[in-house]
Amino acid sequence: MLQQQLVNGFVLGATYALFALGFTMMFGVLGVINLTYGVYFALGAFAALWAAKAIGLSVWLALPFGAIFAGCIAIVIDTLLLTRLRRAKAPELSSLMVTIGATLFLYTGLSVVYGTEIRRFPLDFAPSAAFEIVGVRVVATQALIVVAALLMAAGLIWIVRGTKIGLAVRAVAENPDAAALMGVNGGLVTHLVSFMSGALGGAAGVLIGLNFNAIQPFMGENMMLRGFAVIIIGGLGDLRGALIAGFLLGIIEVLTAGYFASAAKDLIAFALLVLTLWVRPVGLFGRAAAKRA
Amino acid sequence: MRIALVGVFAAALIGVAAAQTSKEPIKLGAIEVLTGPNNRYGIPAQRAFDLAVEEINKAGGVLGGRPLALAYEDSAGNKDQAMNAARKLIGRDKVTMILGPTLSNEMFAVGPVVNDRKIPIIGTSTTATGITAIGPWVFRTAMPESDVIPVTLKTARDRLGIKKVVVMYANDDAFTKSAYDVMKDSLAKLGVETLTTETFSGKDTDFTAQLTKAKNLNPDAIVVSGHVDAASGIILQGRQLGIPKNVRFIGGNGFNSPKLAEIAGEAADGTLVGSPWFVAKKDEVNQKFVKAYKEKYGDDPDQFAAQAYDTMYIVAKAINAAGGTDPEKLREALQGTKSYGVMGPFSFTEGRDPADASGVVVLEMNGGKFRIFGETS
Amino acid sequence: MLDSFSDIYWTYQNIIHGIAVNGILGLSVYVVLSIGQLALGQAAFMGIGAYFGAIATTKLGLPFPIALLVSVLTPAAVAFAIGAPTLRLTGVYLAISMLGLGEISRLLFLNWEYAGGALGLSGIPERGGVFLLYFVLIVLILAFFFVGRSRIGRAMEAMREDETAAGVMGVNVPRYKLAALVVSAMLAGLAGCLSAHVSSFIGPNEYGFEMATTILSFALLGGIGTPLGPVVGAAILTLLPEVLRFLADYRLMINGAIIVIAVLFMPRGLLSWRMKRTV
Repeated sequence: MLQQQLVNGFVLGATYALFALGFTMMFGVLGVINLTYGVYFALGAFAALWAAKAIGLSVWLALPFGAIFAGCIAIVIDTLLLTRLRRAKAPELSSLMVTIGATLFLYTGLSVVYGTEIRRFPLDFAPSAAFEIVGVRVVATQALIVVAALLMAAGLIWIVRGTKIGLAVRAVAENPDAAALMGVNGGLVTHLVSFMSGALGGAAGVLIGLNFNAIQPFMGENMMLRGFAVIIIGGLGDLRGALIAGFLLGIIEVLTAGYFASAAKDLIAFALLVLTLWVRPVGLFGRAAAKRA
Repeated sequence: MRIALVGVFAAALIGVAAAQTSKEPIKLGAIEVLTGPNNRYGIPAQRAFDLAVEEINKAGGVLGGRPLALAYEDSAGNKDQAMNAARKLIGRDKVTMILGPTLSNEMFAVGPVVNDRKIPIIGTSTTATGITAIGPWVFRTAMPESDVIPVTLKTARDRLGIKKVVVMYANDDAFTKSAYDVMKDSLAKLGVETLTTETFSGKDTDFTAQLTKAKNLNPDAIVVSGHVDAASGIILQGRQLGIPKNVRFIGGNGFNSPKLAEIAGEAADGTLVGSPWFVAKKDEVNQKFVKAYKEKYGDDPDQFAAQAYDTMYIVAKAINAAGGTDPEKLREALQGTKSYGVMGPFSFTEGRDPADASGVVVLEMNGGKFRIFGETS
Repeated sequence: MLDSFSDIYWTYQNIIHGIAVNGILGLSVYVVLSIGQLALGQAAFMGIGAYFGAIATTKLGLPFPIALLVSVLTPAAVAFAIGAPTLRLTGVYLAISMLGLGEISRLLFLNWEYAGGALGLSGIPERGGVFLLYFVLIVLILAFFFVGRSRIGRAMEAMREDETAAGVMGVNVPRYKLAALVVSAMLAGLAGCLSAHVSSFIGPNEYGFEMATTILSFALLGGIGTPLGPVVGAAILTLLPEVLRFLADYRLMINGAIIVIAVLFMPRGLLSWRMKRTV
C-alpha cells in the first residue's frame, strides 16, 4: 500500500506545484496579494471546456488555448485595476481590496453564465489509459500532470535564469525603480509577468480540472488557501521552492490521511504553513527581503 | 329613507370590498439559495415552485379563485441574508407562510425567528436532525435521512450479503454529517462491521489517500455520505485505483443526482442510493410532473424540485382546508393535510416531519441512469 | 395599512444588529491596522468568542455577563499564546500566518463534537439586544478617540509611519504589537458573542477565510485614518447586499464591482482624513 500512497501523494503534489508556480510568480514579482489568481485557474478550465465542446479540441490544443485565454484576461485585469493603484503608489492593502472585489465580481459572473453545477471534460478529451506497475495503479492524466508540472517549472526557471527577459523580470522584482533607471520597461515586464502567471494558472486549471473531473466556477477558491501554504513553505517568488514544496505537501498530506487520520489531512497543510512562518518565514528557498525604506 | 340609502351604500361598499378580496392573491414567501456556490439546490426548488404555482393558478387558484403569489428572496447561502430575507418577507411583505430556506444551517437561524412570530415555515430540502424540534410552526416535507438510509443499508445487506464496509463522509457540512450519524447507527443495528471510517472535506477533489486505505482493507462495500461533487470524484478515483466492481458504493441522498453518472461515467455503475423519489418513477402523477418540468425548463427535475413541487400542492390544500389565511388555522390545517404527490402518499407526523416512508426506493446506477435495484429492465 | 413602528423595526432588526456587530469588528481590525500590522485573525477570534460564549449560555447554563467575559478573555488568551512567534513577522507574512491560524481554528471547531462539530450550535438564547450592542459600539468609539489623542495614540501612529524610527524614539514596539493583537482579539471575541446571541445559531464555517476578508473590507472601504472609518465601512458593506436585493442574480456581481470602483477612486478609503491631535 505504501507505494500506492506515495504515488498518490506525488500526483497530488504535482497539482499543488502546478497551481503554485504561477501564484508564486505573481506574488514574488508583482508584490501584491492577488486573489484573482484563482479566477484565472477557473477561467482556463472553462475556456478549455468550451473549446472541447464547441470546436472539439482535445487536450493538446485546448490546454494552450485555455492558458492563453487566462493570460490575456490577467493582463486586462492587471491593467484595469492594479496599474492605476501602482502608479498612485497606493498602500498595498488597496490592491488586496481591489482584487477581493474583482474576485467576487468574476466568480459570480462565471456562475451566472455557467451555473454552479460541476462539469467534466468530454470523454475523448485526453488519453484515458490506466496502467499498473509494481502493484501501483496510475492513470494517464495523472502522469500528464506530473510531467506538465516538471516541464513547466523547468521551462520557467530557464526563462527566468537564462534569458534577458528573465533578467528584466528579476530586476523589476527586486527593485522596480532601479530597474526603470537601468532602462527596463517596467510596464512591459509587468504585463509579461501577469500574462505568464495568468497562463500558468489557466493551464493548471485545465490539467487539474481534467484529473479530478471537477470543473466549477469556484474551483480556484478552494485551491487558494493550499496555494498560500505551498508558496510560503517554498519561499515567495521562488519557482524551485513552489515545485518542491508542492510535491512535499502532497506527499505529507496523503501519508497523514493514509496512516494517521483523514480528518487531519487539511489540518496538516495549515499547521506546516504556520510552523514555517514561525520558524523560518522565508521558506525553503526564499531570501529575506530587504526592508523597503 | 336616509337609513335605507346608507344601507344600500354600505352594502355596495362591502360588495366591492368583497369582490376585491375574492380575487386578491394569497401572498407566500420563499427563501432559497439563488446565487453563489450552492444555488444548484435552490434553483430547482424555485423552478418547481413556479411550475406548481402556475398549474394551481391555472386550475383556479385557492379559496374559490384567489391566485397564489410567491415572492422570492435570495439568501446566497448566507445565514444573515436568510434571516434578513425572512424578516423582510414577514415584516414588510406580510406573507402568509414561508417556504424554505434551502440549507439546514439557514433553517437553524431562520426557524426560531419565524416560529416566534407564529408564521408557518416549511423546509423542503432541510434534512439535518433537529429542524422540526425548533418549534410548532416549523414543518418539514423533506424526508430526513433517518427514514431513507436504514432502508438502503438493510436492502444492501440482505440482497448482497454485505458483512463489512468502509465508511467515508464529508465532515464539514451539517447535512452530510447528519447522514453519516444515521449511517453509523444503522450499520451497528444491522450488525455490519465498519472496518474504518474516513473523512474528507466537501470541497476536496483528491480522495486517493482514503480510497487506497479502504481498498487495502478489502471491504464488501464502501458507504459514502457526501454531495454529488465529492461523490462522483470518490467513485471515479476508487475505480481508477482498482477497487473491483463487486465492491459497490452505497450513498446517501447526495448521490441522487443525474450529475453522478455524468461525471463518473461507467465507474458509477452498480452504485446504490436510497431515495424517496426518482425521476423514472412510473406512476402518472410523477410522469406528468417530469414531463411538464422538462418542457418548461429543458432539464430533468431532481429531488429538490420534486420535493418543492409536492410542497406547493400541500400548501394549497392546507389553505383551502383552513378556509383563509389565519395563521393558527393554517398551522392546524397543515398538520392534518394528507395528499398524494410525486413523492407518493404524504402526511405529517405529530412532530411535523413526513410520516409516510412507503415511497422510499433503493436505486442502482446502470448505464448512466438510475433504476430500481433488483429490476433488470 | 400603515406599518407600525415595531413592525418596521422587526423587519430590519437583523440588519440593525448586524451594523453594530460589524462596527465592533471594524474597530477590532482598526486596532491592528492603525499600527501597520496586517494581523488578519479577527474572524477566528470572533469564532472563538462566539463559540465559547455560546457554550457558556447553552451548555453550561451560565448567565450572559459571564458568557461575555468568557468571550472576551478566551481570544485574548489565544492571542497572547500565539503573539510571540507570530508578531515577529511583518506585512504579507503576518497576514498569511493569521489566515493559516484561522483555518486551523475553523478545522478544530469543525471536529469538536462537544461544540456540535459540523452541525454547529443551535438554540442559543436571545440575549443582549440592540441597546447593548450600540451602547458598546459607542463606548468603544469614544474610547478609541480618547486613546488616539493620547500618548498611546501618538506612539501607534509613529509605529505605522515607520516602525524602526519609532523604536529608536523609545516606543516599546513589541509590547504595543502584542497589546494591539490582544485588544483586537478581545473586541472580535466580544462581537462574536453578541452576534451569536442574536442569531440563535452558529457554525464553524462562518468564521473562515470569507469572513476574514469581509472584516478586512470594512477597514479598507472606510479608511483607517480614524476609528470611524471601519465603522462606516462596516455599515455600508452590511447594508449593501440588502439594498441591492432587487438586483437578484447580479447582486453579488454588482457588490464586487462597487468595491472595485470604490477602491480605485478612493484608495485610502472613504474617511481618509486623519484625527486631529493636540500637538
